[in-house]
Amino acid sequence: MTSAWMGTVKFTRHLNFAVAFFIFFFACSISSQAAGVLSQDDKNCLECHSQEKFEKPMAEGEMLSLHIPGKDFAASVHNAVGCTGCHADIDLKKHPQTSKKKITLRSHSMAMVQVCKDCHDDKFKLYEGSIHATLLRDGNEAAPLCSDCHSPHSIRKDTASAPMAEVSCRQCHTPIYKAYAESVHGQIRGKPEGGHAPLCPDCHKAHEVTAASTGNQLKDACLGCHTNALAVHKTWLPNTDRHFEAVSCPACHAPTAKRRVNLRLYDSIAQERVAEKQGVPQFESRARSADSKGLGLDALALQSLLKEFNREGSEGKTILRGRLEVSTGAEAHQLAPKARAIKECDSCHREGAAPFQTVTISIVSPDGRPLHYGAQKEVLNSATSVDSVGGFYAIGGTRIKLLDVLFVLTLLAGIGIPLGHMTLKWLFRRYLRQIEAERQATQPQADSQASSGDNSTSPTKS
Amino acid sequence: MHRLYVHPLPVRIWHWINAFGFILLIVTGVQIRYIGLINIMPFKTSVNLHNLVGFVLIANFFLWFLFYLFSDKIKVYLPELNPMKHFRESFRQMAFYGYGIFKGQPNPHHVSLYHKFNPMQSMTYQIVMLLLVPIQIYTGILLWDVERFQTGVNLFGGLRVVDTVHVLLFIFFSGFIFIHPYLASLGHTPTAHFKAMFTGYEEIEEETEGH
Repeated sequence: MTSAWMGTVKFTRHLNFAVAFFIFFFACSISSQAAGVLSQDDKNCLECHSQEKFEKPMAEGEMLSLHIPGKDFAASVHNAVGCTGCHADIDLKKHPQTSKKKITLRSHSMAMVQVCKDCHDDKFKLYEGSIHATLLRDGNEAAPLCSDCHSPHSIRKDTASAPMAEVSCRQCHTPIYKAYAESVHGQIRGKPEGGHAPLCPDCHKAHEVTAASTGNQLKDACLGCHTNALAVHKTWLPNTDRHFEAVSCPACHAPTAKRRVNLRLYDSIAQERVAEKQGVPQFESRARSADSKGLGLDALALQSLLKEFNREGSEGKTILRGRLEVSTGAEAHQLAPKARAIKECDSCHREGAAPFQTVTISIVSPDGRPLHYGAQKEVLNSATSVDSVGGFYAIGGTRIKLLDVLFVLTLLAGIGIPLGHMTLKWLFRRYLRQIEAERQATQPQADSQASSGDNSTSPTKS
Repeated sequence: MHRLYVHPLPVRIWHWINAFGFILLIVTGVQIRYIGLINIMPFKTSVNLHNLVGFVLIANFFLWFLFYLFSDKIKVYLPELNPMKHFRESFRQMAFYGYGIFKGQPNPHHVSLYHKFNPMQSMTYQIVMLLLVPIQIYTGILLWDVERFQTGVNLFGGLRVVDTVHVLLFIFFSGFIFIHPYLASLGHTPTAHFKAMFTGYEEIEEETEGH
């Protein structure tokens, strides 16, 4: 029994060793592939395609680079699928194919999108819901395609930790990138040793990019990292939740940015921002029609615009929800260290405060971006706007002028009425003294008459 | 001249807390609304003080409310159900303040245990205590935490409507705080009613014949 058992143990040990060896060998083979071992087929392709300045003329005089840096491709995630994984349409017997029909670089990239989709369908679905895809559907030639952001021959798995300067967004959004690079996030991220700070996709998402100022995505992104932000603000900021709702983060944390009030058209029943219907643009035409003088919407014009938007639905369905935000996307990225953030209440809560000098009305356009129309700053201080701008109010900063007049009149009445009454009493004092003297003169006489009357009756009674 | 105990201790405590609280609320309210124009204290201090005093006065309101609800003194607030009589007496009272007082005519209202308010006071205090103060409390609470009470704010018609109502009442109470002490000084001596609100006893002039 004992020797049989010992034999079983030995066999198990050998088996374990064999399994461990197999796993080690398999892991080594995988890692050597990841380390940049090219297949023989790919090496054959690269014999030609690794040449520098290997190009192909396209339509409209453009040149398509056919140069593939072999080292980069070997290190890329696409090494696993090899050249033919994406370029399966190439027939090696006829390659290089000489076709008289030339297509544009854009058409070539568009065609390659379908190839990307074959493997990355999940990402493609996200992309389809993005503002980039909407722009593409609208025929925008600058709308980015897969290859505009991802270099297919050198793409790595760890792109999220790639150096800041390599982020593809900067190609189109240069002013925003510059603002970001100088911001507190960019400064940390750009450190030579690399710092932990968000890059574009961390806030805007990589594929489902939506317009920044239309939803809560960005606020959620801020609070996603700064998880204690609400609690910290609650230690010093009254009505913290309201401030978080009505003031965008950069409005205080980008202290040099120009701020404004954005009155968003909001569907109070569906609980979402009002969006223009595809192919039926109404916002601008309605706003222009309400703004007959072209000076920006005044309080009455604003009322009339709201009435127009409520005509189709129930009364009060469309309302205005105000929000304090920065004027441009670039300014939204000028985030400063928190010590420099605006903390002074009176930077907003005072008459004539800078953020209330610019007012816009906005709606969400079909492509997801906000469309703005200017309003006069007086709409924030007008009694006529009590109803239409009912959802936005900053104590001190947007107070209604008519109430100020009423307050002054009340104070004048409160002081004036007692003073006037006292003055009248003072003027009548001589008259009062005279009446009092007459009363005192007549009083003893009446008293004596009353007492003598009493005396005269008493003997009779007795 | 005799003394009549018309202001019980809870009413006197409520009155003076209310008086100083109203002054503090008006001062901090003015500071909150007109920062830059008036600089008595920083904005944040005025907001915090305004909130604190507001809650003290809410508690004080319930002291008043519960005292009157559970005592027979509630009779002083019972309205005159005969409108003709009410308006006739109110007119007499107005005529006294606007004309008779200058001619040395006696005050047509005579204080008694359950009848301490003249018809004008009676109407004013019914409106102030049972309508305006509760509205001011409600709007104040909504403004204290707008997001928490978002539903209440929306039912009211929006933040701007809530604030406008709060400010309109603030304006009314600001005027009231000037007029009220002046009217209180029109007793048989300028300080008689003030003393009564400390001691509880009103000095009642002996009625002459015909009154």
